[in-house]
Amino acid sequence: MTRYDFDDETLMAFADGELDEATSVRLETALAADEALAERLAVFLESRMLVASALKPLIDEPLPEALLTSVRRMAEEAQGRQSEASNVVALRPRQRQVKRWAKHRWVMPLAAGIVLVVTGVVGFTVGLNLNPSVMNSSAEVAGVLDREASGRDIALGFGEMLHIIATFRDKNGSLCREYELKQPSGSTLSIACRHDQAWVTQLALTSVKAEGYVPASSQETIDAYLSSIQAGTPLSAEEERAALAP
Amino acid sequence: MQKSGMVTDMQTVPERLVAFLPNLRRFAISLCRSRELADDLVQAACERAILAADSFAPDSRFDAWMFRILRNLWIDHLRRQRTAGPQADLEEASGISVPSGEAASLARMDLLHVTAALQKLPDEQREVLVLVCVEELSYHDAAEVLSIPIGTVMSRLARARKNLAQLTGISFGERRSSDAKGGIV
Repeated sequence: MTRYDFDDETLMAFADGELDEATSVRLETALAADEALAERLAVFLESRMLVASALKPLIDEPLPEALLTSVRRMAEEAQGRQSEASNVVALRPRQRQVKRWAKHRWVMPLAAGIVLVVTGVVGFTVGLNLNPSVMNSSAEVAGVLDREASGRDIALGFGEMLHIIATFRDKNGSLCREYELKQPSGSTLSIACRHDQAWVTQLALTSVKAEGYVPASSQETIDAYLSSIQAGTPLSAEEERAALAP
Repeated sequence: MQKSGMVTDMQTVPERLVAFLPNLRRFAISLCRSRELADDLVQAACERAILAADSFAPDSRFDAWMFRILRNLWIDHLRRQRTAGPQADLEEASGISVPSGEAASLARMDLLHVTAALQKLPDEQREVLVLVCVEELSYHDAAEVLSIPIGTVMSRLARARKNLAQLTGISFGERRSSDAKGGIV
């Protein structure tokens, strides 16, 4: 047996753990007796180690703020678009969804104007234990809903972030907004409609997930709700501006 | 198609993107050897990925899919730039250099050496080297990213590593014994 039994690719595959077992055994036997072969193998073992040591630490570099912000926004918009798209495209299918969801009977207006989701939505705390901070920040939220355009993230106090997803009108022509309130403890997806200059929450879904997005099942609930109030398609930026103008 | 139902316990492409940014940026820096360019490239790749999110098969590897998108954009960029000639700019090249204090087991000189040698490799050798040795993709996944057969991955990768050995001038066999306690401060 000579060293030429093993070409560079074979030695390299061994170094990378990609060589089949039979050949590996044969190579190991040969290595024991062949110093030159061992040195050829060392080139592949150590080159991998060197390249890894030189480049792997790049991952620890802090991401440039601009890049991170931009990609985050992009990702959030994509999520938002996804839901908008399903609202728009699914206008007629929505009627069917309503039936599917109707058995959950989840809309129960309360004195506080908070509407609760009852059963059948995976991953949500049933809204009975009202999140107190949702209540506390309601004045602040109302102010934001009065003036800010959809698609923006607005920082509130206490590490809360309000993201307005879309604006639309219900069957009575009332102005409604779908928004997400992100808190350190979780996030709440809500729909509020304006009646007599006050924002009345119609539906609030609280997700216990600390970060990330509200799961798709909540979107279905929202969609079902939207069709039950015969929500129109989301307003364009211009329409929204006009509707929000004092 | 009831897509929304399937997404519930699986992260969507936009969600995964944000978490994957550090890897993507590392790959981009090693491809284009400039942080500034890399950041633009990462941004463009993310835009592309979001647009093409439907084409990602949820049971396939997200990293390979993203690397492929980014690398294709880089190739496009190189094609457009071809007239500009090689950009073996030293300042640019230094963009890839290693933060000090890292990889303490290796003498820093060696790392700078390796980094400089990496710059000199042809692009097609460097990219396969990075995918396998840094991003730890299998030959199979690297072949997917680069749209080449596995055999080509292996021959390029082997050549890359032999070139690297030559360029660093490190005789791998001897190195271990000769600079055991180099004392480089």
